[in-house]
Amino acid sequence: MCPVKYIDLTRALFSAQGFPPYEWTVNETAPFTPFEKKLEECRVALLSTGGLYIRDKQPPFDPDRNDLTFREIPKEIDVTELAISHNNYDHTDADKDPNCVFPIERFRELEAEGYIGELAPVNYTIMGRIFRRTALQNEMAPEILRRLKEAGVDVFFLVPA
Amino acid sequence: MPTISVSSARDVTESVKPPRSVFVNFPLGHTTGKAFDRELQMKIIKDAFDALRSINEPGTIIDLPYRWEDGDESWETEVERQMTGA
Repeated sequence: MCPVKYIDLTRALFSAQGFPPYEWTVNETAPFTPFEKKLEECRVALLSTGGLYIRDKQPPFDPDRNDLTFREIPKEIDVTELAISHNNYDHTDADKDPNCVFPIERFRELEAEGYIGELAPVNYTIMGRIFRRTALQNEMAPEILRRLKEAGVDVFFLVPA
Repeated sequence: MPTISVSSARDVTESVKPPRSVFVNFPLGHTTGKAFDRELQMKIIKDAFDALRSINEPGTIIDLPYRWEDGDESWETEVERQMTGA
C-alpha cells in the first residue's frame, strides 16, 4: 500500500466542510546548506510542530489554526511537564511520551554518549495548521533562526508532527 | 543552517521539499517512534542523522524501513476512513 495521501484527503475534507480548496505549498526546488562539520562536534537544536508547551508555565497554543507563536523548551526539561495543545493529530501517545514527536530525552542521551557534540540549551516547539505562510516565512522562521545563530547552533533537527 | 527533517506525511514532504528528509510511515503523532520505545526512537533519530551526512541532492527524501505493525497496514485504511467520513 502506498503512503496515506494526506493532501488529497485534506482537500476532500475541506471541500466537504464547505471551505475553499486549500492551496498546498508546492516548492519546485529546495534550499540547501551543506553539512560539513563532524556531528560529534556540533551543537544541535530540536524543533517540533507538535504543539507542545510547558504546563502551567507557558500559554497553550491555539489548538485550531494560525498560531504563529513558538515556545522555547530548555534542554533539561522534565518531559512530564510538557503538555500538547493541537487538535489536528492524535496525540494520545505523545501525551504519555512526548518523545514520540519531540524526542528531547533521546537527544540528551545522544549528547551523553558523544554521538552529537551537544544539545542546544534552548529547543523549539510550534503548532501545525498555520495557513499564514507569508507571516511564517517572513516573521516567525527568521526570528527562530536568529535565536539559533545567537546560540551557536550548528544543526537544526526538525520534526513536523 | 543545515537541517534534517523527519516526516510521516510523504506527499506533503514531496510538495514542500525540505532540504533533507527521512520518511517514517507511521500514523501522525509518532514521527520519531512509538511511545516508550526508546530503542526505536533512537534508531529513527540516528537514521535521520545518517541522512544529514549522506544527502547531497536538495529535496531528497529517504524512506526508512520501519513498519507500524508487521504485515498489517490497517491503520492507513482507518485514517482514510476517518478523513473521508466513509
